[in-house]
Amino acid sequence: MHLPMAIECRGISKCYPHFQLRDVDLSFDQGTVMGLVGPNGAGKSTILRIVMGLIGPESGSVKVLGYSMPDEQIAAKRNIGFVAEDMRLYESETIAFHMDFVRSIFDSWDEDYAGLLLRRFDLNRNQKVKGLSHGQRVKATLLLALARRPSLLVFDEPTTGLDPAVRKEVLDEMMNALEDETRSILFSSHNTLDVEQISDYITFVHGGRVLDSRNKEEFIDGWRRLRLTNVNNAPLPTLPNIKGVQQSGRLWTVVVNDYDDEFPAEFTAAGLEVNTVERLTLEEIFLANVNFAKANAQPELAS
Amino acid sequence: MSASIIPQLVRKDFRLMSRTIAMFGLVSLVCIGIVAALYGHVPTWMLLNLGFLLLVSPVGTCGIVILMKTNVFEKEKSTQPFIMSLPVTVKEFTRAKLLINLPLFSAAWLVISAIGFYFAFGLGLFPLSTVPFAAMIFLGGFLAYTIILCVSLMFQSLGITVLCIAIVEMATSGYLSTIAYLDPIAHHVAGPHAVWNSAAIAIAAAQVGVAFFLIVATMIIQNMKRDFI
Repeated sequence: MHLPMAIECRGISKCYPHFQLRDVDLSFDQGTVMGLVGPNGAGKSTILRIVMGLIGPESGSVKVLGYSMPDEQIAAKRNIGFVAEDMRLYESETIAFHMDFVRSIFDSWDEDYAGLLLRRFDLNRNQKVKGLSHGQRVKATLLLALARRPSLLVFDEPTTGLDPAVRKEVLDEMMNALEDETRSILFSSHNTLDVEQISDYITFVHGGRVLDSRNKEEFIDGWRRLRLTNVNNAPLPTLPNIKGVQQSGRLWTVVVNDYDDEFPAEFTAAGLEVNTVERLTLEEIFLANVNFAKANAQPELAS
Repeated sequence: MSASIIPQLVRKDFRLMSRTIAMFGLVSLVCIGIVAALYGHVPTWMLLNLGFLLLVSPVGTCGIVILMKTNVFEKEKSTQPFIMSLPVTVKEFTRAKLLINLPLFSAAWLVISAIGFYFAFGLGLFPLSTVPFAAMIFLGGFLAYTIILCVSLMFQSLGITVLCIAIVEMATSGYLSTIAYLDPIAHHVAGPHAVWNSAAIAIAAAQVGVAFFLIVATMIIQNMKRDFI
């Protein structure tokens, strides 16, 4: 059976006085996890809010589970569970109040699963929201999103501000949610460990633009750090993939993207000695990407 | 599956507001009791002032508190992303907010108006000639509430709503004074019986019409919004 894509964004743009989201393309299949990575203010939350139909793009098209957003948002949102870091529940009410409310809306609400999540998250359904810690509040909103058994889960910085134990609980439950092979997750984070742990695809966002979007293995595998010795102070070969250069005397460190096995030979031909070629962690890729984007943004700003 | 969730949203707000409604309902009952107890024991002018204050204040305050809690605080306290993540559009959200606020206030305002009319005219405290003007006062109160409700829905801003309340409060006093001195109204206030002339009917109808227009305009403006959180 042909399933529509989980999310299909084409050329979406959104302008604010001090921020612009420009020509964003983002798509992934159902049954997969897409991690949106980027520094604060990169545009991750704006993309997620556009996906949820909470804000409208000025141009471009958005389809979620085959439904056009925001026009078909009611049908789409019946199949989406959304959790955002800045989302709050009604402070004066209990978790049970919220469970009753969400249950009254979704036929798909799974009471047994909700009970199981209450126990796993160590939450008391009769506890008022105002008495919950930040971690408990995140777990409560996660429970409300998961127990309705949606096809797509959209998480905006779900693990921000959580202690390691709670963060693991939340991530574990996100992984458990993927037992249903058609369920998809789109989540944003600036915590690269989380993204690396559960994503199938990674999209890197910076300054309102998508800088890179692809399969996680391909994404991580494409980056290398070359440690070089430059005795004669030779210029680097003119490769378009060089994303960062650090110099410490004769020792140079070069970070490259879209790595090719021919690259070391290029450096050797240019008169540099290649000492080691190392893989990068997502955290290191994140920093290299941010630094490269910042460095390239300077001429734009100056002009 | 595509059924609207407006009833669930209204029920949710009603449950959230139940304690507020109960509290103000109790206060209103006590106030009605005080007015009844004072009847015949204090001068008419005193009963008029105290009665108006005791009957109108709890209902007016309750209406404002509920619209603040259901409209403004939804955004201020960031519960709106939770609600808007549910299968609901801005249009339905607005309808749900109107459906919780308008009927609650209208019902309470009607009851208070009826009680006020009973004390004023049923017990003969006032001449029947003042009935049209009294009706305009209560309709004016309803219009003032509608303006504040619509502003609170459109802006969902604490500052703008408070400013609107202050302006509406001042404007309502000025507006009612102006009406009271309008020739076709003033001329009959001291008369022997109620006169529903064209001016009185037009003013009353305009108050209802403007309130209706504001509600429709709010729906249209809300429906045009592209961004909602």
